[in-house]
Amino acid sequence: MEWEMFTMEFMQRAWLAGLVVAVICPLIGSFLVVRHQSMIGDGLGHIAFAGVAGGALMGVQPVLAAAVVTVLGAAVIEKVRTRMRDYADMILAIFFYSGMGLAVVLTGLNHTGSFNLSSFLFGSLMTVSSEDLLIVAILGLFACLFVVLMYRPLQYLAYDEVSAKVAGLPTDTLNLLLSVMAALTVALSMRIVGILLVSAMMVIPVACALQTAKSFAGTIMGGIAYGLISVVAGLIISYYANLAPGGTIVLVGTACFILNLAVKLRTPKHPNPEELSPKACHICAEYRELEKEHQACEKCQHADCAIGAKTFTGSEVSAKEHQSK
Amino acid sequence: MAAIITMDNLGYNFGDGWVLHDLTLSIEEGDFVAVIGANGAGKSTLLRLLAHILRPTIGYITLYGKPLNEFKEWGKVGYVPQNPGRQQRSFPISVREVVALGRLDGRSIFQRYSEEDEAAVDDILRRFTLTELERRKIGDLSGGQQQRVFLARAMVNNPEVLLLDEPATGVDPDAKIELYKMLGDLNTNEGKTIVMVSHDLELASQYARNALCLDHGVCFWGDVKAALTHRHKHGYFYR
Repeated sequence: MEWEMFTMEFMQRAWLAGLVVAVICPLIGSFLVVRHQSMIGDGLGHIAFAGVAGGALMGVQPVLAAAVVTVLGAAVIEKVRTRMRDYADMILAIFFYSGMGLAVVLTGLNHTGSFNLSSFLFGSLMTVSSEDLLIVAILGLFACLFVVLMYRPLQYLAYDEVSAKVAGLPTDTLNLLLSVMAALTVALSMRIVGILLVSAMMVIPVACALQTAKSFAGTIMGGIAYGLISVVAGLIISYYANLAPGGTIVLVGTACFILNLAVKLRTPKHPNPEELSPKACHICAEYRELEKEHQACEKCQHADCAIGAKTFTGSEVSAKEHQSK
Repeated sequence: MAAIITMDNLGYNFGDGWVLHDLTLSIEEGDFVAVIGANGAGKSTLLRLLAHILRPTIGYITLYGKPLNEFKEWGKVGYVPQNPGRQQRSFPISVREVVALGRLDGRSIFQRYSEEDEAAVDDILRRFTLTELERRKIGDLSGGQQQRVFLARAMVNNPEVLLLDEPATGVDPDAKIELYKMLGDLNTNEGKTIVMVSHDLELASQYARNALCLDHGVCFWGDVKAALTHRHKHGYFYR
């Protein structure tokens, strides 16, 4: 019985599509979340919805129409964002709500009855066709190539756009490419998890990874790992409990986030150097009131005590020597 | 010595008035210039203009004889913005990753790190005593440690020109002295041209050669010791 979910053809397609989305969404989402653009995926989903509705009305393949409209929308949003930084969130909100408004109007104009709105809103993992699978697999390959080939410049852009610009990197081009990739990820993944939830897959696994990651590479890999956990557990639970797979996947991801957060809050955190007394050793987990400032405690008399044992220019000073100063 | 940076009638207007105007001066190769002024005097704006982050409203700047919009060799310039750590404290990036970013430049969007890049990063981490911290998340470091990281990033390409916007922000007094001493050594022993915004003219005067005092325009430009005298005689920012 338990092997049915792997032997039935429609389930195999669902598994493959889900696993690809589990990789793509956090991969691209990592670059958005760390730049405080978590809601862009949701907004692009609204624009994609307008594309789907417009495509259905005009007899154009809805996913293709959504991809074109979303990419154009993302390019315009990026242009506006760079020119009106002070009002960027307001302008984005206008785009997003206008997209939803247009989608509702276009849907109302479609009287043919052939347009299945709910499959785009909520996803239809169990009815993924071979064509959908091919599209999402090509997207997955493209997204991986995009990140692998441009990882370092994208990392610089995400972390410090100003310094990246000073270094001579084409930040405008990189921003546009990232927006286009986000748009394609939303438009082509929405058939799998739905417009309403595709943004969640771009954000929640990354949020899980951020609780523990100490590097950007770690955040991306962790985000993908949590994405895979969410999809695998979500599909298994939804299969046996007869629940909507898209929603179940997202809820599993949320549960992972809450669990991570709970563990993180219970774990003694590394001391925030700004809050420490200068007479406490900044490296070891136990704090000792030392007689002189910026000193290594006896427990920490080794090379790792960067504040206590070493001066700015790098000359090593033993803790005992430092104590005598 | 040849002029590395020249400014001719340089001015910048944000739209609400002139932040800088009538700047005409040259900075020679190997010079160490301390840029002084009150808050809002235009010091950071000047550095951002020199780094080509902002475009002049009037006038022009040349770097190595080329107008800034034609200059391509940004690997020769190391830039440390004002208080960079505070802007992205929660960003998940390690010390090593931050320093390695300094090896990227505008040659291509498909850059990867070579063995030479990794060796340069190892070397600069050792030089700035950051090897033990290289795997730490930068947001977990103190302000002074973060400043060291950003200086290391600016230095990893062995630039000829350093543009430093208040590099001693968040640094304790002892480390501040060490920082200025290190910058003085870079200037004296390695011939680096340094343009540094500072709020400490007394300390800067021990290492810098020239001072540029700004109050939207130039209050004083010349020998740093004379700048001290000028200040004592006329008040801090008297034209």
